[in-house]
Amino acid sequence: MGRLTWCQNMLEYLAGEKDAPPTGFMVGLSNFLFWGIWWGILVGIVFVFSGQSSKFIYIDF
Amino acid sequence: MIFNTWDYYLLFLLPAAILFRIARPSIQPLIIVLSGCYFFVYFSYTQLGGAIGAACLLIFLWESFISRFYKPASWFCWLGVVQTILFLVVFKYRNFLSGLIWPMPSQNPLYWRNSFLPLGISFFTFEFLHYAWDRYRNKTETGTVGEYMAFILFFPTMVAGPIKRYQDFLPKLRSIPADWALDFQRGFTRILAGLAKKFAVADLLTAYTNHLNMRDIGHAYRAVLPLWLLAYGIKIYVDFSAYSDIAIGSARLFGIKVPENFDWPYFQTNITNFWRHWHISLSAWLMDYVYIPLGGSRVPVPRIYVNLLVTMFISGLWHGAGLNFIVWGLLHGLMLAAHRWWRHRLGAVPSQALYARAFSWGLTFVAVNLAWAFFCMDIHTALFFFRRLLGG
Repeated sequence: MGRLTWCQNMLEYLAGEKDAPPTGFMVGLSNFLFWGIWWGILVGIVFVFSGQSSKFIYIDF
Repeated sequence: MIFNTWDYYLLFLLPAAILFRIARPSIQPLIIVLSGCYFFVYFSYTQLGGAIGAACLLIFLWESFISRFYKPASWFCWLGVVQTILFLVVFKYRNFLSGLIWPMPSQNPLYWRNSFLPLGISFFTFEFLHYAWDRYRNKTETGTVGEYMAFILFFPTMVAGPIKRYQDFLPKLRSIPADWALDFQRGFTRILAGLAKKFAVADLLTAYTNHLNMRDIGHAYRAVLPLWLLAYGIKIYVDFSAYSDIAIGSARLFGIKVPENFDWPYFQTNITNFWRHWHISLSAWLMDYVYIPLGGSRVPVPRIYVNLLVTMFISGLWHGAGLNFIVWGLLHGLMLAAHRWWRHRLGAVPSQALYARAFSWGLTFVAVNLAWAFFCMDIHTALFFFRRLLGG
């Protein structure tokens, strides 16, 4: 697996698209500490940037 | 808005998904139907056409009724196709098409002053058309009326896709996985990732894309123009892929995996592959219900180019009731035709050398992003943008 493909797979796993991590990425779905921190980071990003929300482009265009 | 509101999560997604997962399989479709009706009425009433918008729920109820008469080779299927296209024309294209004949609204007898779009009409009409056509060709089973209503009223995908297929959806509805913990973990992760993309990237870029108007383009330093257009190219990708993430993640909470919509489209090294990885559910729909019925690639070569142009013309028109969207679609049709000519007429085999792949990627990326000018601006503004960009 190329490095770029591995990175794509890892990002897709972290974003909830894939159910299994790429080879070598040792974080399983049952690692509550990791996913708790990751969800916390994502929620933090949402709250930090939430003041400027705009309409989704593809709705009712 | 919808997916970036608390209402969506607290009033709809969480209650409906939890109820759905604890309910008996026999009443699961009913939960989808009732929550879908509630969703349509609530957001239509509060965000779109008010009471009249909410009354457009009747379109779904009528479609559920008439679809029971769809049989292989039946004229009822044609009736379904025609009425669905009529819904779309009346609500979305009436002012645009009549405006081509009577440009002044005051002189246009067909002009609809307070026109509005029923929630998700551009997307649910594709699902109606697919079902009517596939029943005509006997490519899908009828299912029960409850199952069909669950298909068209499944609210995570109702507003902007991904565009589903009944023959793909039905088996998933009938066998919801028991492992709800996995679905909830993946679903919530997907939703949060989508929200983070939307808020932190797409909305941030709005500060740049807002400048794509006649006044700002006229006053801007020339070198900044491509950056604004690039910002739009990134924004539309992140925005719609974020939307798709939230829709797919929401569906996952119900235990239903809906089709993916994006697969790294900006990494593709030609325009054909770009369309195989961009808005995948739309591309596949256009391929199956427009391009292939026109003859696809099994016709003489000049007809293939015409089929590509017609398909992308329809894609452009579907994206918006405006000449700029038609130009955008035709530009992509021309690019697809040029790529096909390059590959098949010249017998060109893509080189695997790094420089060749980098060049192909750069060419595809630049072409796609330049074409966005006709997507995000009207014709006059887009032409003015290119005049300023190229001529100063």
